[in-house]
Amino acid sequence: MWVFVLGDLIIFGTYFVIFMVERSWHRDVFLESQRHLNLGLGAVNTLVLLTSSRFVAQGVRAARRNDNAHAVRLVLGGGLCGVLFLAIKSYEWASEIAAGHTLATNTFFTFYFMLTGVHLFHVVLGLVILGVVVADLKNPELRRVSTVEAGATYWHLVDLLWVVIFALFYVLR
Amino acid sequence: MRSSIARDPVDFVWIALSAVTAVSWALGAATDGSHLVTSVPTTLGVLAIALLKARGIIRYFMEVQTAPTWLRRFTDLWMVALWGSILTLYLA
Repeated sequence: MWVFVLGDLIIFGTYFVIFMVERSWHRDVFLESQRHLNLGLGAVNTLVLLTSSRFVAQGVRAARRNDNAHAVRLVLGGGLCGVLFLAIKSYEWASEIAAGHTLATNTFFTFYFMLTGVHLFHVVLGLVILGVVVADLKNPELRRVSTVEAGATYWHLVDLLWVVIFALFYVLR
Repeated sequence: MRSSIARDPVDFVWIALSAVTAVSWALGAATDGSHLVTSVPTTLGVLAIALLKARGIIRYFMEVQTAPTWLRRFTDLWMVALWGSILTLYLA
């Protein structure tokens, strides 16, 4: 799993640097566009993902203690936070589109929709992986701590990438 | 007497990262409005908080704190390279 995680860190890191290059070229456009984003929703989604990471990290510890029923509940809690993140992000996207901001509006919104979209894909993939973790935890023949650890590592990556997106898109001035 | 939450590193990190997220939110809200202007102090604060959060997630949630040396070095290098690039491009 770490191979994919480190690969994603390099790819997203490159995206973030290109975003900053574009921002340095079109500073006024980026600042003007940025004010249309909903800072509150971005912050709440950060708290939602941090909470999901907390549940999943605790789930790994429970699995190591062989407390599998508790581990299942914790990983499910993490997954539910992920679903809440998707719901908030969908509402945010719908609000932006309703306000006339789309992929074609300007460079800032192209980056906004593309990067949050790619990140959203990672959230969905992460939810599938957490589903596999839960299924394995419930099956004594498939149950392995290494599977739980690998799934958790991927899920924390989703959290980590969002922390950078939140800073660059919502709060940088 | 410390509570069980304060004793648990994962819970402690979660509380700390949530708290600094609230600070970041407040920094953004303080400069929010109908016309945003460049603010170097806000940006430096926001980037410092984001770095703190990224390191907390990597070290304690991803458990890189106890991982092999090469992984600790790689993730540290990623953070230094990314934050260094962001800061350089912002200040350029």
